[in-house]
Amino acid sequence: MSREEILSKVTEAFTTVLEHNNFQLTNETTANDVDGWESITHMMIITEVEKVFNIKFKLMDLMNMNNVGDLLNTIESEI
Amino acid sequence: MEFVKKLQKSIEQHFDHNVLCINNTFYTYNDFAIEISKIRAAISNTIEDSEKLIGLVTNDDLQTYASIIALWLEGKAYVPVNPSSPKERNIQVFGMTETKYVIDSSETTLYDEYTVISSSTLANVEINLVPKEVSGDQLAYILFTSGTTGLPKGVPITFDNVQGLVNAIDAESEFNLVPSDRCLQMFELTFDFSVVTYLFPLLGGACMYTIPKGAIKYFYIFKLIKEQKLTVLTMVPSIINYLRPYFPEVNAPDVRYCSFGGGALHSDIAKEWSNCLPNCKIFNYYGPTEFTVYSGFYPYHKETDQKANNGIIAIGTPQKDTLYLVVDDTNQEVPIGVTGELCLAGPQITPGYWKNEEKNAESFFIREENGITVRYYKTGDLCFKDEDGDYLYVGRADFQVKIRGYRVELAEIEFHAKTKSEKKVNIVALDITNKLGNAELGLAIESEEFDTDYIFDHMKTQMPAYMIPMHVRFIKEFPHSINGKINRKELKTHFNIN
Repeated sequence: MSREEILSKVTEAFTTVLEHNNFQLTNETTANDVDGWESITHMMIITEVEKVFNIKFKLMDLMNMNNVGDLLNTIESEI
Repeated sequence: MEFVKKLQKSIEQHFDHNVLCINNTFYTYNDFAIEISKIRAAISNTIEDSEKLIGLVTNDDLQTYASIIALWLEGKAYVPVNPSSPKERNIQVFGMTETKYVIDSSETTLYDEYTVISSSTLANVEINLVPKEVSGDQLAYILFTSGTTGLPKGVPITFDNVQGLVNAIDAESEFNLVPSDRCLQMFELTFDFSVVTYLFPLLGGACMYTIPKGAIKYFYIFKLIKEQKLTVLTMVPSIINYLRPYFPEVNAPDVRYCSFGGGALHSDIAKEWSNCLPNCKIFNYYGPTEFTVYSGFYPYHKETDQKANNGIIAIGTPQKDTLYLVVDDTNQEVPIGVTGELCLAGPQITPGYWKNEEKNAESFFIREENGITVRYYKTGDLCFKDEDGDYLYVGRADFQVKIRGYRVELAEIEFHAKTKSEKKVNIVALDITNKLGNAELGLAIESEEFDTDYIFDHMKTQMPAYMIPMHVRFIKEFPHSINGKINRKELKTHFNIN
């Protein structure tokens, strides 16, 4: 799966959880840049992404995830 | 005031130790003493002696913590407001306390209509941590909680109240912080639980680790536990609910104390969490804001001490100088084993809600005990005392609902539903008023939709028919209050049954 395809699926997961698409995800995007992305919705986004890609993140990876780029890297390494 | 003098001594004795770690930056007790001295000098130069209630914008920085201590050294109280809350609400709080002065470390303050002490831009002064004399009935802080009428409800806490808390914790030999401790401070300073997570580390010369605003708090806490090797955790149970899927990856041998409070601790998750902390004592604390944070605790142990009722860990026994009393509707004590409302008396009891005589008349009562007049606070929590003298939590008095005339504990329904559910998710029972004005039971499940028939089959074997919920809603994310508690009132709006 290309990085673009991964990004597109991740964008869908964000839209599902946050119930809006008023954001543009790039490698540098963080929770501060997206409305509604905070501690609890983050946990839901993670669950949604795990479901979409059929993967299970490790706590160590989640702990060091600081932006969307980190999330994409982790997905790439898991699929 | 004894505890303020102890704070002074502790700060002076630990100058080379770290006091705070904020967003990976460490500050020493010496740095802290400098900030406290600058802020108290500004307080003393700006604010007249008669002004006691001072606003504090609770940023996540050294100056905000220093401001609390500076105000106490000056014999004044802090009125904290959260910078993330709407300004209108914060102004409402300042209006109710007639606060004219605000300490704000923000780069630009929103509170121009007040006299603002800008705590991050003050000139250096000599360190001075000698406290002014203060009378014990003066206020140390006022916290505001959401009131049922829409106006926030103020809970004033005096210096004597805080001294009572310090005396009680000092008397507890099982819990003793030392300068090498690294303590989690995850709470907003507008939430009363924060008082124990900054006060006890400071008195022990230990270091606090805060959660930066904007961080994903569940993972950030884990990162602190792992990388900073935290030794003392103080948390609300909802934190571990979210970390639960990752428990198999958590092994934190450095943690020696883990205290829970601010919500019911369930025995199944307590046991699993306990496995992640092999060298840790777990305390299940109980106490309302009105009684200065803690009134007592139960020392949990996954093998030897796991007393629970409906799956909720016991709240144990009252701490030093605190009295527990379980009463019926007429404020008469009920026998052992009988559920009633838990009432608290002792040195930590608030003088009463801020300018709210009506609420005070409802929530406090006087009782003659052996010729002494004792003032009790009614917690609104239902409990019973067992033969061993331990108190067990049953549920909120306002969660005890009447369904077709029967008294129903919502917590009991939740217990049976959760016990059977294969999905370990939040499940909340709610009373929903139908168009006839009668209460019906609803079950809210924090999950995608799944088949609940087997859960209902199980509940029907455990409870009478009137206790079986008639409505089920799956909600992807439960609404939470700012303190991380599930917002039941908002959950009810998902049940449109009329």
